[in-house]
Amino acid sequence: MNTLIKYEFLKIAKKRATLIIMLVSLIITALLFGLPVLQFQTYDKDVLMKGMEGIRYGRSIKDGIDATLTDEYAESVIDEVNGLFEDPENVGNDGSERFLIGDAYWEHIAPREELMNTIASAYTGPGEYAGYNLIPELTASGAKGFNEARRDKLRAIIESPSRELSSEQKEYWLSMTDKSGVIRYGYHKGWEIIHTNFELLIFAVLACCITIAPVFAGEYQTGTDAVILAGKYGKTKLITAKITASMLFGIMAFLIHVAVAFGIPLAFFGADGWDLPLQVLGLTIPYPWTVSGAVLRNTAVILLVLIAMISLTLLLSAKMKSPFQVLSVLIPVLIVPMFFTPSGASGIFNQILFLLPYRSMVPEIGKYVSYQFGGIVVGLLEVRAVFYAVFTLALILFCRRVFKKHQVS
Amino acid sequence: MEIQLDKLTKQYGSRTAVDGVSIILKPGVYGLLGANGAGKTTLMRMICGVLAPSSGQIRADGKTIDRLGEKYYDRLGYMPQHFGFYPDFTAREFLLYMAAVKGIDKKRAGERADELLNTVNLTKMAGKKIRTFSGGMKQRLGIAQAELNDPELLILDEPTAGLDPKERVRFRNLISDLARNKTVILSTHIVSDVSYIADTILLMKNGRFILTGSVDEVTGSINGMVWETVTDEQTAKGIMNRFPVVNLHHESGLVRLRIVSANKPHADAVPVNAGLEDLFLYHFGEEGKEENT
Repeated sequence: MNTLIKYEFLKIAKKRATLIIMLVSLIITALLFGLPVLQFQTYDKDVLMKGMEGIRYGRSIKDGIDATLTDEYAESVIDEVNGLFEDPENVGNDGSERFLIGDAYWEHIAPREELMNTIASAYTGPGEYAGYNLIPELTASGAKGFNEARRDKLRAIIESPSRELSSEQKEYWLSMTDKSGVIRYGYHKGWEIIHTNFELLIFAVLACCITIAPVFAGEYQTGTDAVILAGKYGKTKLITAKITASMLFGIMAFLIHVAVAFGIPLAFFGADGWDLPLQVLGLTIPYPWTVSGAVLRNTAVILLVLIAMISLTLLLSAKMKSPFQVLSVLIPVLIVPMFFTPSGASGIFNQILFLLPYRSMVPEIGKYVSYQFGGIVVGLLEVRAVFYAVFTLALILFCRRVFKKHQVS
Repeated sequence: MEIQLDKLTKQYGSRTAVDGVSIILKPGVYGLLGANGAGKTTLMRMICGVLAPSSGQIRADGKTIDRLGEKYYDRLGYMPQHFGFYPDFTAREFLLYMAAVKGIDKKRAGERADELLNTVNLTKMAGKKIRTFSGGMKQRLGIAQAELNDPELLILDEPTAGLDPKERVRFRNLISDLARNKTVILSTHIVSDVSYIADTILLMKNGRFILTGSVDEVTGSINGMVWETVTDEQTAKGIMNRFPVVNLHHESGLVRLRIVSANKPHADAVPVNAGLEDLFLYHFGEEGKEENT
């Protein structure tokens, strides 16, 4: 069996087309995940810093945003901002908003602006904009402590009638949010880029599927199906070997893409913040995971999506007469869902959209998407994992059957 | 191994490609002759178990091949017509891959691949990618893969198609060598290929065997129907319009004709011994003549 798997793997890997597709796809992935590096820009008081210069500057001041968001720390920040706004010399106004200007901004706000925005966001209503400049209004006399305000906001989101969550789902999300304790904040730019660009890995999935498309259909096209099906293991072990080799190749190729995709932002922005809670990306994210833990979880789900898409490719390949026919079905399956955006987190249509291949690459960590089966509530990532695992199993069984029954013509 | 075909039929919609073929095949070389579309390839694919019959059965030593499964395929070698190779594999890699498909263990596979590469005179090309091979080299590699498991039943579909005369002779000899103690079914529409090496001729037309037997037996069926005559060009044209002509040869202003006809085609025509080409033309007419050209 190992020899069969080895040769089936070589059949995929040695093709010139495979090498070209993989190279192009790796370049595209590198460019897409490299764009945030190339386009990065930041300011200090005097200059605009672009690319690596900006990144270096950001990293040089990263220690300034290391903080544990206790009520006391948040209060000190709020007091500091309110104090700055009390001096009219520090305040600018564009007609609709007040903001800090001059040294007050550049020295006190700019280096920690994202952190301050995060603190402010605990005090805004669900879905409302939160910037440091709103702190004076949001924290007027009698304001709650930061963590209580955050908890109230989470509860308001979960209880919001527009979300149409059942009582079981509300309970599920409330208990989920209870698990995240006091938030530790810090520099996490590299991980943030990964979190916001997961869906770009669709090109890697597509490339893997394109290289797998000829596994069965290529045999029909060249007429080698007759020879292999007349071999002792042509209808038995060979099918297993083809499926195993395709999976191995697909997974290996995908992991190389992942290494490039994740490696670029982490190499340039650093891996700092890997152990920070997910809430640094958004205060209302309910999951009690670290930033890197969420990346691992979603990557595992994407891997399952990939495996399912490889299985679908193999089934189509076993069923159709040429790799081009396979791609004519497969590409729309992967691309068309890009144009459907869920309008909410509930309702059958939305819940199906969240399970489509392209959409399944996006972790949707802030959308409170869950599925209810009777009295049991299951989170989006878990449902995706089970859905794609079951889908894979069904497709593989079907694929085996189709090739076994293939009639040479 | 004894192969029994029992009322084997294959239908594609309303067209019957193989029509109730029954025969028992014992060790020996069978030359399956027929025009294009006669059903040869369909029949071979069914015997190889890569195409399911619409009705009828194939038995090997009394058991249906479906029931035998891997045990049957283990005793089978098949070289289909015009099959592709994996262009990025070397000849040796291809044979090792096919050996794995045939369930030959790794050590034996290596030995057997080298042995067969030598037999088909491809040792020097063993490490070269198949994309660089000529048609003849690919055909030789094709027969090597069919022979890997030293099969008891060897099925070769048009193995000499597209080869030049020198390659064809070489290939015929190779098949003859490999055929010892096996059941070999060799399909072709090139009569001379089978006339040298086949023990039994199976003449197939419209999905049926219309004649089976040794070369002498099958050609005996048209004894007295093959004629030769030497005549002027004008008369020759008239004969050609009325009778199937196997051969035409210009000899110092005259024309020598070989004619297949139940009736004497010309007063000067003399009967000659029938050959396979005559038989082929007799049964397949102009269609067969074109293919055999």
